[in-house]
Amino acid sequence: MGKKKKNGWGKKHRAVIVTGVRTPFVKAFGRFLDLDTIDLADIAVRALLERTDLPHDEIDNIIWGGVILPSAAPNIAREVALDLRLPPSVEGMTCTRACATGLQAVTLAAAAIERGEADVVIAGGSDSTSNTPINLPQKAVHALAPLAFGKASTAADYLGVLAQMMPITEILPRMPKIAERTTGEVMGESAESMARRNEISREAQDRFAERSHHRAAEAIASGRFDDEVVPVETPDGWVHTDNIVRGDTSVEKLSKLRPVFAKDGTVTAGNASPLTDGAAAVLVMSEEKARALGYKPLAAFRSWAYVGVDPTDQLLIGPALAMPKALDRAGMALKDASLVDMHEAFAAQVLSVTKALASKGFAEVRLGRSRAVGEIDEDKFNVHGGSLSIGHPFGATGARMVTTMANELARTGKETALLGICAAGGLGAGAVLEAVR
Amino acid sequence: MTDLLLENESARKLIKTLGLPIPVPERLERAKGPYEERPLDDKTILVGGHGALQGVLAQVLTKAGATPWVVGKSDSVLEPYRGPGEAWARTPRRIEPGDAPEGERVDAIVFDGTGLETPDDLHQLYEVMHPWIRRLNRSGRVVVIGRPVGDVKRAAIAATRAGLEGFTRSLGKEIGSNGSVANSVFVEEGAEDRLGPVLRFLLSPRSAFISCQPFHVTKTAKVGEAPETHVLGGKVALVTGAARGIGEATAEILAAEGAHVVCLDRPADDGPCSQVAQRIGGSVLLVDITDRDAPERIANDLKERFGGVDVVVHNAGVTRDKTLGRMKPDAWDMAVDINLGAVVRITERLLQNDLLRPGGRIICLSSVSGIAGNRGQTNYSASKAGVVGFVRALAPQVADKGITVNAIAPGFIETRLTNAMPVAIREVARRMSAVGQGGKPEDVGQAITFLATPGAAGLTGQTIRVCGGALVGA
Repeated sequence: MGKKKKNGWGKKHRAVIVTGVRTPFVKAFGRFLDLDTIDLADIAVRALLERTDLPHDEIDNIIWGGVILPSAAPNIAREVALDLRLPPSVEGMTCTRACATGLQAVTLAAAAIERGEADVVIAGGSDSTSNTPINLPQKAVHALAPLAFGKASTAADYLGVLAQMMPITEILPRMPKIAERTTGEVMGESAESMARRNEISREAQDRFAERSHHRAAEAIASGRFDDEVVPVETPDGWVHTDNIVRGDTSVEKLSKLRPVFAKDGTVTAGNASPLTDGAAAVLVMSEEKARALGYKPLAAFRSWAYVGVDPTDQLLIGPALAMPKALDRAGMALKDASLVDMHEAFAAQVLSVTKALASKGFAEVRLGRSRAVGEIDEDKFNVHGGSLSIGHPFGATGARMVTTMANELARTGKETALLGICAAGGLGAGAVLEAVR
Repeated sequence: MTDLLLENESARKLIKTLGLPIPVPERLERAKGPYEERPLDDKTILVGGHGALQGVLAQVLTKAGATPWVVGKSDSVLEPYRGPGEAWARTPRRIEPGDAPEGERVDAIVFDGTGLETPDDLHQLYEVMHPWIRRLNRSGRVVVIGRPVGDVKRAAIAATRAGLEGFTRSLGKEIGSNGSVANSVFVEEGAEDRLGPVLRFLLSPRSAFISCQPFHVTKTAKVGEAPETHVLGGKVALVTGAARGIGEATAEILAAEGAHVVCLDRPADDGPCSQVAQRIGGSVLLVDITDRDAPERIANDLKERFGGVDVVVHNAGVTRDKTLGRMKPDAWDMAVDINLGAVVRITERLLQNDLLRPGGRIICLSSVSGIAGNRGQTNYSASKAGVVGFVRALAPQVADKGITVNAIAPGFIETRLTNAMPVAIREVARRMSAVGQGGKPEDVGQAITFLATPGAAGLTGQTIRVCGGALVGA
């Protein structure tokens, strides 16, 4: 059982991305209906181990991310290790940072390796929106407690419990929705208000959505994702590929959809990311270890940054602050990044962020610098689509982006990739990946 | 205490349905919590006039969350608004002079009259406001900004500048029935950077009951850091007469902004005063301020417990009304001593040894009837007018320490005091304001709290009325 590890505590290492895999991303309440978030995580991690032939006793730990955590077993990471019968020494922790969760898991892994805490970490994230637990309102829970704990015995006790549950509407389970806890605003409403305030037209949003679908469809057709997507067996058969991507969509088709969040709104099901089931896993190692084990690393983090903005203002503008911060920390300018990959929660949000990055006024007032961060070159921006077309299992998206960009750097010989992710609560994330040759 | 026309929904409906010739006052929108990052969130503000303040206005308004609609003949008027607009995602829109597109309404109008030089230029006021004044939303705001009259030698320019104040006073009376208020702000050259907090206050619901007033923003007092939220964090504030009414409301609002409030009242009011202090997490100081050793005791207490004080609110006051011929000497002495004598003695003591810390704030309570004069109140008016003179004279003396000294003159406020008035007189007094109703203690508390903030550094030596634009008292 496992050979004795060298004690590398405190020793400086560079953490490298060895490889990454993910399940196909599948529309919620569809083909992955019977797979909960732990099942999906198991599948992704198992595939990662199979594809890399990684000796199990080399693994130090698993750092997993999830947004809708299973309340009975919230530490998914440890459940995965146990499910896959990894050595008991493979410990695990689970983190959550809304839509930036997947990136958080990977940067935590990199930080742990760079601190000398670990050499080999499996990081990633998963979510099954199809298996969101629907909670009973607290009122019902409290009223039912005497039954659950056996304190009620007489008929009167039971009647008392019933009486407490009236009116019935107050104890019915409520459908979960993606709403801000502090403001009650549904995220689509936030995107709607950002579209209005930043003057992002319906047409611009639809055009961006179309572009996302076309690019993703092209990547799938060309086999570009084959290295990073593993087929998944479900009770109804195999799922080989992402099923949300519409290669045949067009601005014309998208323009027929009705706005969802406001009567005269511009945000539709077509230009918003859909509820998705899926998982993504990334193998992170110290460079020494990776080379010693004979792996060829793809990339490493040059920097990362997490920020918070006022959620009552522009909820999803965070990347406009986090991306420049990550660039600063990497000692780079936007134009130096050979690739830019931004999480597409809503087309309106992506275009609001790119507009802010291109604005001198934004740079002066919000970033305290005299020049705009810059415009993002279309050719290097979300080259293979994004969450609008591929889908967005909350916890997995960041790990998907890291994987796709690390592969892209390796395949194209490009130098750096800038990542940007917006997240609920007014959070933003940015990171710079550099190629490792 | 209840104003039937305001609180009773059936009475309001009845009057409106029957078409009775009784003007039903508009319910004023008031601030609900502590100072916010964006007090003007999602408000649309019409900006007119082409003075020197466009850059400041662009920064202040967009950061506060408002969308500026700028009146002008060409898109060049939008230039100063573009950068800040992008930073805060509040895209400016140009409005053709003299035009108000069908169905559009605004929440406030701000006129930058710092560029006006001749009486003819005053026409710009008309041109900007005329098409929009009936498109002002309820609880709307008008702020007219100009340069101080005293700054120029040329009489024509002075005349033009002075015109802005008269315009605003009259406009306030016209828009009051809508629950809206109008005020003017005169910004000394070089004090432009102190305008922001004043604008944020005047355009927000915190100034609901202030109308027809001129504000003078000067560079007199030294200025420091001015936070926009939690504006009194770490400050110690002394409020006299804190047991009830305006004092209580003020103590609550000061505390909500992060100040530790020392609630001072007479020993006889121990009960209510302690309750206030406990509720707001403040402390109690029981002193009769007319005692000769009161200043010393207050000073020692503040020094021992807090090492000093940052904000002093002289709120304690009494009326002892009688026409002069019938007034007993002790009635005269009591009113003048509590309302003015004690204020002077305590202030002078606190200014010794820098007990009132640099950047400190002194706020005294004057009164509209003190300014206007009122039958049966010779003693009261003498004391309350005395306060006006006191703050005007003291302000320049302490300005180099960053200390400001101002007075607040409440009009008809719904308190225990006004509730004791005969019904008929009370009803008349209420309706005499431009907004057709009495104010609430919190309205005065909001004004006092604003003057207590670091951001109010531009205002000193002034007496600001919180009277809803009352007819009396100029």
